[in-house]
Amino acid sequence: MNARIGFVAATLLLAGPAWAAPKGQLLIPEFSALADKASETVNVTLDGNILGMGCRFLNAEDPEQAKAKKLCTSLTGIYVRHYTFDTDYAYPKSDIDGVKRQLSAPGWSPIVEARSNKENTNVNVFVLISGEKAQGLAIIASEPREFTIVNIVGNIDLEQLHDLEGNFGVPDLQIETGRKPAPAKPPAPEKTK
Amino acid sequence: MKEDLPNNFEMELRRRLRPVDAPAGFAGRVMAALPAKTQPIVASSPRAARPARQFGVPAALAASLLGAVLFGMHVANVRLIEEQKGIAASQELMQALRVTSQKLDLAYEAVNSPPTAGDQENRS
Repeated sequence: MNARIGFVAATLLLAGPAWAAPKGQLLIPEFSALADKASETVNVTLDGNILGMGCRFLNAEDPEQAKAKKLCTSLTGIYVRHYTFDTDYAYPKSDIDGVKRQLSAPGWSPIVEARSNKENTNVNVFVLISGEKAQGLAIIASEPREFTIVNIVGNIDLEQLHDLEGNFGVPDLQIETGRKPAPAKPPAPEKTK
Repeated sequence: MKEDLPNNFEMELRRRLRPVDAPAGFAGRVMAALPAKTQPIVASSPRAARPARQFGVPAALAASLLGAVLFGMHVANVRLIEEQKGIAASQELMQALRVTSQKLDLAYEAVNSPPTAGDQENRS
């Protein structure tokens, strides 16, 4: 009897975080050990009121921020973990695999899976489609000295994502939007890195 | 005779002062004779009330003014904190979108660059 109760409790504990997280949100670890080793860290967690507040404070006069404002009003969360290291492969591969495993759940579809052995670069882009809208976007990119996880949650309007092209350097990935392809745009100004 | 006089006097006094029961209904008659309600007598001291009357209204006004100033300061402080949080959040949001765009750019480059031996690309 006790063993059965223990099993049920353990199942609920393990299942808890999965149903507690909103649809499209990945359970991204804090990677605190990586942050100590990294030479540059970007750790952004914006959800709920903070995201709404950040969205409200974007300057509508600025064209870049105006487009971001339009996009973020329908979002419920943005989570970014980006680490740059001084040495090659200072991060454990298991950290990436743990997040990748969540993207094998039903609903998530890979848009881009690119692996370059020459530059040792891996980029995976996934979307969670529900109905006609994307409910989540995930990017997992690993380079020898960089490791990035991006998770955008909410009603992601792919047309709006298209509209960001050339503003943040977002390229045209020819994501299916259900509309006819727009005429070719003039090349975006070169981005300064 | 003279010696008996004090004794007689004393006895007479004792007789007259002996405790006797009240006639029947005496307590009821006394109570009935009392007025129905007695107003408590309030001793007023005009001198003691004067400072309260003199400073009461200005003090209340000063307290209200101080309260309004403190409330206004609190509201302004809350707004300032909210504004700072909002600006910080908007900066984080732009930073997040920049990182996103950089990585999408990387995906774009990987997809569009001519495949070399060992490279794998899959696009759906």
